[in-house]
Amino acid sequence: MRLTCPHCGDRDLREFTYKGDALALLRPDETANPQEWVDYVHNRDNPAGTTSELWYHGPCGSWLVAVRDTTTHVTHRTLSLAEAGK
Amino acid sequence: MAKLIARPATDGLLPIEIGKAILEDAQPQAITWVAPFNRKKSAVSKTLGGFPGPGEVVEVKAGRALSVGPGQAMILGAPLDCEGAAVADQSDAWTVVALEGAAARDVLARVTPLDLRDAVFPEGGTARTLVGHMTASLTRVGPFRFEIMVFRSMTQTLIHELERAMKHVDARTKL
Amino acid sequence: MQFACKSASMRYSGFKVFLEGLRGQSGWKPVWRDPEPKQEYDVIIIGGGGHGLSTAYYLARNHGITNVAVLEKGYLGGGNVGRNTTIVRANYFLPGNSEFYSHSLKLWEGLEADLNYNVMHSQRGLINLFHSDGQRDAFARRGNAMINQGDDAILLDREGVRRHLPYLDFDNARFPVYGGLFHPRGGTARHDAVAWGYARGADQRGVDLIQQCEVTGIDIENGRVTGVQTTRGAIRAKKVAMVVAGRSSEVAAMAGMRLPIESHVLQAFVTEGLKPCIDHVVSFGMGHFYISQSDKGGLVFGGDIDFYASYAQRGNLPMKEHVMEAGMALMPMIGQARVLRSWGGIMDMSPDGSPIIDKTHIEGLTLNCGWCYGGFKAVPASGFATAHLVATGELHETAAGFRLDRFETGRGLMDEEGTGAQHNLH
Repeated sequence: MRLTCPHCGDRDLREFTYKGDALALLRPDETANPQEWVDYVHNRDNPAGTTSELWYHGPCGSWLVAVRDTTTHVTHRTLSLAEAGK
Repeated sequence: MAKLIARPATDGLLPIEIGKAILEDAQPQAITWVAPFNRKKSAVSKTLGGFPGPGEVVEVKAGRALSVGPGQAMILGAPLDCEGAAVADQSDAWTVVALEGAAARDVLARVTPLDLRDAVFPEGGTARTLVGHMTASLTRVGPFRFEIMVFRSMTQTLIHELERAMKHVDARTKL
Repeated sequence: MQFACKSASMRYSGFKVFLEGLRGQSGWKPVWRDPEPKQEYDVIIIGGGGHGLSTAYYLARNHGITNVAVLEKGYLGGGNVGRNTTIVRANYFLPGNSEFYSHSLKLWEGLEADLNYNVMHSQRGLINLFHSDGQRDAFARRGNAMINQGDDAILLDREGVRRHLPYLDFDNARFPVYGGLFHPRGGTARHDAVAWGYARGADQRGVDLIQQCEVTGIDIENGRVTGVQTTRGAIRAKKVAMVVAGRSSEVAAMAGMRLPIESHVLQAFVTEGLKPCIDHVVSFGMGHFYISQSDKGGLVFGGDIDFYASYAQRGNLPMKEHVMEAGMALMPMIGQARVLRSWGGIMDMSPDGSPIIDKTHIEGLTLNCGWCYGGFKAVPASGFATAHLVATGELHETAAGFRLDRFETGRGLMDEEGTGAQHNLH
């Protein structure tokens, strides 16, 4: 499996660390009710199929969003956090 | 007060020659990290005599500038300071060694996940990657010469890993 | 407890084997029926893996509930129960986990007699190695917790380990062996046989095991479950249990639920068959690596999850490299063995690394999931507790900690590894 770092380009999986569902970018605002926080912190769609995830490229320190298929390990595209709107 | 004698981290460990590869010390006089502030990149580039883009190596006034991350360069050569950028002297924080020879790329291929083929990593290319399990900066400074930079505290581990890979590659060629 | 074999000839025994030898093996019958699904059952269990089959078995055996269907989209035991490294142990530390796995090991110890089926349970002993003073303290504490639970634990020093495992690299400069926590009742079992044994036991008691029957929807009316839609038609039931670790999120989504689960892939490996050389289950304390030798002679070993979401049932090369490196650091002799194959299983990873057996907000719908990478040893007690919950509506005392709401409330989190109760740390 290979991923594309927004700074370094196409690289081997070993250089990256998985940082969970990209849901983490959608932090509820301060007025959110407790159930919204539970959903944000613990509950996941966890699809068998296309999902968006945060990854970290350790060697250069870049974060990225990978849009990936969990059933085939094919990466459809990767975005920098700026491209992902963060 | 006793006068301390500065010695390189590779003292007594290098050079090592095995088969068609030589591992030797390549520590520059100084290593300086430079990260231009917002909207200051062109001014900094002018002051330094260039600034590398992603994956690039640029010869600048003080020496050789390697891209080491988004908006960051490491300059190997003379000490320097620069207006308009965050600057940190990291001379004592890194060890630089060079691996040279016809077998150099085969040796590196055993310890780094980086694609080292000419089309992907040509002469003049640089990359932040892993060597062994250490985060490293790898630069191809010649057709058969690579410079490898790791944290200074990992010098002995780096040399151990590279020496072992050199032995393995050499043993293969002798089969 | 009841015993209700349909005919005495179905019992396995030495005499039966002898008799069939004289008859040219002509008298063996299929071990379970292949029934058509009925229109309605008292209980539907979604998932014909280890946990689903044991749930069905204990519903019949402990509670006399036999009008039960187990719905399996593939074939019985075709998922994680046949894709693991077969380790059976009761060496947990935290209250909540400790009593559950202790109960499970006791069920394992009586399982072959109970099922009249050889699951090849082998209590060969398990040794968790430690490589530092801090790790020794942690294992001493764990050993005391195990003894307090009524299980067995012996703290071995370096020479004690050497007596059991002379082949380790004791002088590895980076990871010297300081000692090990020996759990004599730990061991392995034949994974497929466990599924088959429970399937046979459930079938004999009247449970319908329905294979090639994928659940495509869960019917809910006014907050109550009323049945399921399947590829073989609608089936009604007032009680439905989802026992589908590896696919929990997808099945729960049919009931409109989002679970605190992320699916990850865990790889395992087996070598060519060798003469007996590894007599125990051994785990390395400084890298994720554990190993045992199967009765066929293959070295069965594994490591950590790949650490990214996956349903692919196969992993990537970096974790293979890590596992091999860890194995070589611990016991260099395995470098001589050739790996025959590797495979991946899909793990229901929960935020705190502990499982869930609980009711849901939908009346009649029970949830069993979140087994992370430790589901195999739990098969008996999980089915026991899930059957109890389905039958009585009450949590079983050995599994009272596996509440779904512990993440929401923060009460009763069981973070066995001490890494923090959040995703991607276990």
